[in-house]
Amino acid sequence: MFAAHLLRSALALAAFAAGPVAAQDLPAPEGEPILTVTGAIGVTNDGDAAVFDRAMLEGLDPVQIVTETIWTDGVQTFTGVPLARLIEAVDAEGAMLSAKAINDYAVEIPRSDWVEDGPILAYLNNGTPMSVRDKGPLWVIYPYDDNPDYQTEVVYSRSIWQLNRIEVTD
Amino acid sequence: MPPLHAFRAKLRRPARPALLVAGIALVAALVAWMAVLALREIDDLGTANSDNVQWSLAQMDVEYLRFRLAVADAQTGTADLDTVRRRFDVFYSRMSTLAAGEVFLPLRGRAEFESARQDIAGFLEATVSLIDGPDAELRAALPDIATQAAGHAEDVRDLSLAGLAAFAELSDERRGEVMATLARMALLLVVLFSGLALLAIWLLRLNRLSERRARQVEETGNRMRLIVETSLDGIIVSDADGRILDLNQSARRIFGYSDAEARGAEALSLFFPDEDPERAREGALRFIGAQRRPNPHERQFELVGRSRDGRTFPVEISVDRAEGPDGPIYVSFLRDISRRKAAEEGLTEARDRALAGEKAKAEFLAVMSHEMRTPLNGLLGSIQILRDTELDDRQSGLLDTMHSSGDLLLGLVNDVLDLSKYEAGKMRPEARVFDLQQLFDSAVETTAPLAAANDNVVSVEWIGPPAGDVEGDPRKLRQILLNLLGNALKFTHGGRVDIEAEMLGRDRLEIRVIDTGIGIAEADLDRVFQDFERADSSYVRQAGGTGLGLGIARRLVGILGGEIGAESEPGEGSLFWVRVPISLAGAGTAGVPAARTDAPRPAVPLSVLVVEDNEINRLVAREMLQADGHTVTEAVNGRAGVEWAERQRFDVILMDISMPEMDGQEAARRIRAGGGPSSRIPIVAVTAHALPEELARFREAGMELCVSKPIDRTVLSRVLATIGGGDADPGAGPASEAGGLIDTEVLSQLRQAMGDATFLTLKEKFLAETEETLAGFGAGIEPDVLAREAHKCAGSCAAFGVVEMRQALQRIEAEAKANRWPEAELRGLPALWARSRAALEAVARDPQV
Repeated sequence: MFAAHLLRSALALAAFAAGPVAAQDLPAPEGEPILTVTGAIGVTNDGDAAVFDRAMLEGLDPVQIVTETIWTDGVQTFTGVPLARLIEAVDAEGAMLSAKAINDYAVEIPRSDWVEDGPILAYLNNGTPMSVRDKGPLWVIYPYDDNPDYQTEVVYSRSIWQLNRIEVTD
Repeated sequence: MPPLHAFRAKLRRPARPALLVAGIALVAALVAWMAVLALREIDDLGTANSDNVQWSLAQMDVEYLRFRLAVADAQTGTADLDTVRRRFDVFYSRMSTLAAGEVFLPLRGRAEFESARQDIAGFLEATVSLIDGPDAELRAALPDIATQAAGHAEDVRDLSLAGLAAFAELSDERRGEVMATLARMALLLVVLFSGLALLAIWLLRLNRLSERRARQVEETGNRMRLIVETSLDGIIVSDADGRILDLNQSARRIFGYSDAEARGAEALSLFFPDEDPERAREGALRFIGAQRRPNPHERQFELVGRSRDGRTFPVEISVDRAEGPDGPIYVSFLRDISRRKAAEEGLTEARDRALAGEKAKAEFLAVMSHEMRTPLNGLLGSIQILRDTELDDRQSGLLDTMHSSGDLLLGLVNDVLDLSKYEAGKMRPEARVFDLQQLFDSAVETTAPLAAANDNVVSVEWIGPPAGDVEGDPRKLRQILLNLLGNALKFTHGGRVDIEAEMLGRDRLEIRVIDTGIGIAEADLDRVFQDFERADSSYVRQAGGTGLGLGIARRLVGILGGEIGAESEPGEGSLFWVRVPISLAGAGTAGVPAARTDAPRPAVPLSVLVVEDNEINRLVAREMLQADGHTVTEAVNGRAGVEWAERQRFDVILMDISMPEMDGQEAARRIRAGGGPSSRIPIVAVTAHALPEELARFREAGMELCVSKPIDRTVLSRVLATIGGGDADPGAGPASEAGGLIDTEVLSQLRQAMGDATFLTLKEKFLAETEETLAGFGAGIEPDVLAREAHKCAGSCAAFGVVEMRQALQRIEAEAKANRWPEAELRGLPALWARSRAALEAVARDPQV
């Protein structure tokens, strides 16, 4: 399992090395940046990267997921941007996302997960912004209770918390 | 079948489906249970409720060390405080996950884990305020934080180790569960496999069985087809409407139709067009319309068939119904029986011809014999009359010869007549009292001319005491004796013929006729009793006669219920023996022996009307009657007789039976009915054939008496004496000597009261009725009928003073009424009656009575 993580990271690095694509219009973040998207994307606002602050994410039609998780106690309400919408916003063309966390945890999320009713990038837990101590600023949450297919170890491993970087690779 | 097998068989049939269902249910339950287990296991494995826990624990260790590293770096200035804060937050986040995450719930239940975690949590909570505080304070507190963090290194280590141990245990437990499930599944698999194997074996067996059955069915079918095809009889299978479904080769051959032509056609109209279909369906084939199986008697019948080329022939059909796949079918066996029919017809015709020939022959013999008797009667009668004229010795001798020759000739004719009578089954044994010795003497006398002709000596000898009066059938016995004697005399020349008589007990007589003649070869002994048989044909001409003598004797012995046989030594002689049932009449009998010949007695002159068509017989009768002093009037036929009887009163009428114009019976009836002067006088039937039923008919016609032809002068005299009330028979004692049998007083009064003629008529009637009644007293009569008849008869006996008879009948009546069978009385009755009858006749002949 650990080896797989390493392999995926290596692949992500290789994809990153493939070079940036043409930048499009995306307003620059006004607040503290909380997410940086790089790689095969068509929209950027900071060199080759697309940087988002909380306000920008809130502008991307956030949704709520009500579910239990194996890391929390009781039913939780998460609010966040669907991953698919974010991908659309940055005009990503790759087949894979390499998501990385503050603690340097890295995981790959394939295009098959970028779907409606799929995972979201949650920034509110029970209506409260999440600090780093509470697995913030962003936590990839799948609708585990609504879709039993998401109750697998692979999906749990993709449920990365303390997320702050995404790289789109082919 | 042994009981156990029977039990098993009984168990097997109804139990098999139940067992099968139970087995299937058990297997289904096992499979379901296993499926539930497996699915649950799969579910558990499929929905992971744990993140990678080991990774999390190891990560905690890493994050702890990174935090400490950041603190140490900050102290040396190589790292900023933000890094320290971020590392703290990450470690904090990790620890709070351990505190809240449900995957760590099992770990939190363990004391060493929980205490270590709480220690660390305490450290973190205590440090939070510093981390969240201003940079200066944090920087100042860094050494302290570093020291405290280092102090928790042991706790962090314990925490991760405890987690590892716990998850190792959990993992073990889980593996155990999976293994157990797998083991259960393996077991179930074994069970299922065994079940499948058994099922496979069973199916294999079933398959083999069905294969074998199919083979058997096929073989049977082939055999049946072969039988059907090789059958000589035509076989047709038809449906319920009579349409041909199948037919065999013979059916095609018999009717000449091909398979294609016959199939589907209606059997009745195709094969039997000459039969009226409506009639056939209502007749022989009505079971088809009734939609039922033919009854056993309906299964075989005949129809007229017609082949394709138009030949018609009788067909014998045997049909039955069976259930076919599409409703009932009829299987018919057809046989062309034209050849058999022809053979049957030929046989019937041949038989009819043979029978007709036999009948014609018998009739010819009977007619010839009968016709020969009439002229013979004339001859013999004339000889008897001639005796009454004056003759010299030489004439008298010639007359004797003529008489004996005539007698012999009459005997031959009678033989043939008897034979035809016998063939007609008309002979019955009679029971009469007679004197055996006289019978022997008479037979010897009759055959004397023949004995003399062959120069033989005849003797009669009793072995043991002589029997004297006996009861039996004298006519047949006499004939038997005459035939045996005649036979012996014919084949003996210059020798002896001895008659030996011996009573075997009280009820059997043996007569032996022993000659010293030529004898008979052993091989021929049985043949001699056959008709027209002679031991040696060369003697036929020498001996003469019909060759019927011994055959007739054999038949007569048979009628009497006796036996006949012969022993012989060729050249030495032969012995013929006869054993017949006979009963001793006993002492004190006042009977009149039937065979006794008495000299003509002086008689009361009577006026006699002789009705007879034959001139010779008429002449004979006239001469005989006139010799006794009677007046004779002749009538040439029945009509003339009636006319005479209406014109004039006679004392008695002699009535011939068979006459042209009007026969004797008819004439008698008319005379009785006419009411003329002679309508009440006795009429005597004169007949050659006096069978018992004929006698009854004669009586019915009004003829109470009967004389047989040829007329014996003695018999005639006696009958007329009875009618005329002529003097008593010297052989019979006076009335008082009748013993206890007859009460003469009663009889005398009766006679005076009604006059002679009526008395005699009544007496005859009484005798006849009593005979008839007694004849009915055989076995099989119901006791109440016996009682009634005995009562009636006893009444008649009382009127005629027949005392002993009446008493015997009264005893029988009493016994029968008590519902007992009077065996002894009944057995003695015929003999008693014979004596009573004889006594009554004797007494009645005495006009004084």
